Amino acid sequence: MNRNQLSTKQGNASGPAVKRAKRSWKLGRRAAQAALVLLLCIGAFLSLFPLGRALTRSAFLLPALLSASAPAPLVATGDPVRVTHLTLFPNTSRTVYLDIYEPATPPPPYPGGREAIIDVPGAGDNRTVPQLVNLSESLAREGIVDVNVGTPALFAYRVEPQESAAVVQAFELMEHWPGVNPQHIGIISFSVGSLSVYEAAGDPAIRAKIAFIGILGGYADVLSLLHDVGTRSQTVNGKTERWEPIATTAYVLYQSVSYLFSPSDQKLLQEAFPLTPSFPPPLPAAKVKQLSPVGAAYYHLLEGDQPGNANRNIAALTPALKALFTRLSPLSVISQARAPIYLLHDRYDPAIPYSQDVEMAAALARLHHPYNFTTYTIFNHVQVNLNSALLQELGDAPKLLNVLTNVVLPGS
Amino acid sequence: MLILSLLWLVLGLLIGALANAAKLRPSTWEQHGWLAMLGLGALSALIGGWLATWILSTLFATATAIWVAVMGVVLLPRLIMWCGARLHAS
Repeated sequence: MNRNQLSTKQGNASGPAVKRAKRSWKLGRRAAQAALVLLLCIGAFLSLFPLGRALTRSAFLLPALLSASAPAPLVATGDPVRVTHLTLFPNTSRTVYLDIYEPATPPPPYPGGREAIIDVPGAGDNRTVPQLVNLSESLAREGIVDVNVGTPALFAYRVEPQESAAVVQAFELMEHWPGVNPQHIGIISFSVGSLSVYEAAGDPAIRAKIAFIGILGGYADVLSLLHDVGTRSQTVNGKTERWEPIATTAYVLYQSVSYLFSPSDQKLLQEAFPLTPSFPPPLPAAKVKQLSPVGAAYYHLLEGDQPGNANRNIAALTPALKALFTRLSPLSVISQARAPIYLLHDRYDPAIPYSQDVEMAAALARLHHPYNFTTYTIFNHVQVNLNSALLQELGDAPKLLNVLTNVVLPGS
Repeated sequence: MLILSLLWLVLGLLIGALANAAKLRPSTWEQHGWLAMLGLGALSALIGGWLATWILSTLFATATAIWVAVMGVVLLPRLIMWCGARLHAS
């Protein structure tokens, strides 16, 4: 047996193995090439294209919102944050408190000016609420200027018409703020802060300049809200379901119109609807009897103890009250708005029923106004419920990511 | 920035290794050619990351480092070969 024979024999024996090795080498090479092409496309998309940059921003922002704290990658890659507290028109009836969270570094050469977001939290002084501070800081880390707007009325849990002046002033301030691109200013609001935002969106001074409006847990119409509170139910898609408001809802509904009641009614209604975590026991019958007919009708609506008489109680309210309710209803001003609107509402919101934004979405559809309405289950009214199940978070995350991407797109 | 720079270096090395696996190394780079590919990947990623930090902001620097590193391991070896050939010709 010579070398050639041996070699041929060996070649024959190892032929398939060599072929297999060659094939797997070829496959490995192709896989490596494909991986490089994929990395090139993903990297270029996320950094060169506005939509990609917006997606990068929202991908960093989403975990910050869901965990209510800034994740390490955002802290490592984000800008340092500078906070400025401003008071416009101090000691007057139109005082505006602004907390401005902004990157402490100059804006990058590309795309140039920064995006600014005017943020109107709901009733109460929410300036130190951890989730709001976290949102503002996270936006600032991402290169966005975030301005929290507060007014004495909202701090006192009162919703008033013409509060939009504060939003317009904040908007105009941002138009001239160093580093901000005046074309890239949007407004977001939470809960009852939505009225001032809808009003501002229709203000001729700024309505053509607003990049977007985002509303989380907003309301549409005070009379239908009162009906839901009075019947302790909401109607969604033609189906009526039980809905229990929190005590703050009744408190805000009373505080916002209290000056239209007589002093004796005010005293009793104040006693019936204090600012407490839960509803106190109902007023004794003797005290309810002391209320005027209008006061009694409003009491029963807020107390929810006459669900079958809700319509009759609403009808018993004075024309002045009804006129004020119309002025306090975003539905009455929405036709003036121009900017696209993102409506976000938790399906089981205990403060403002989900049906309110269903009503708003229907109104926007009738007006052919650009809007996007998304439903969630991870919010407790306007705050992320940190005890949400993983499945709930996974279900809501893509919707929230989509809205966040659209919100940060103007400045990307 | 030090941690980010290290991250970009590591990403660049990985992309250099992928380029080796993808046989993007010129056939004439026999000895230590694989090491040169790793170096080119790391260097490109570092340059991409720092350029993006300056132009776009740190937020987009890692994504930029990745695609610049890929471009680096694909184009730089060919550019170096071409420059070498030109030098030899002249």
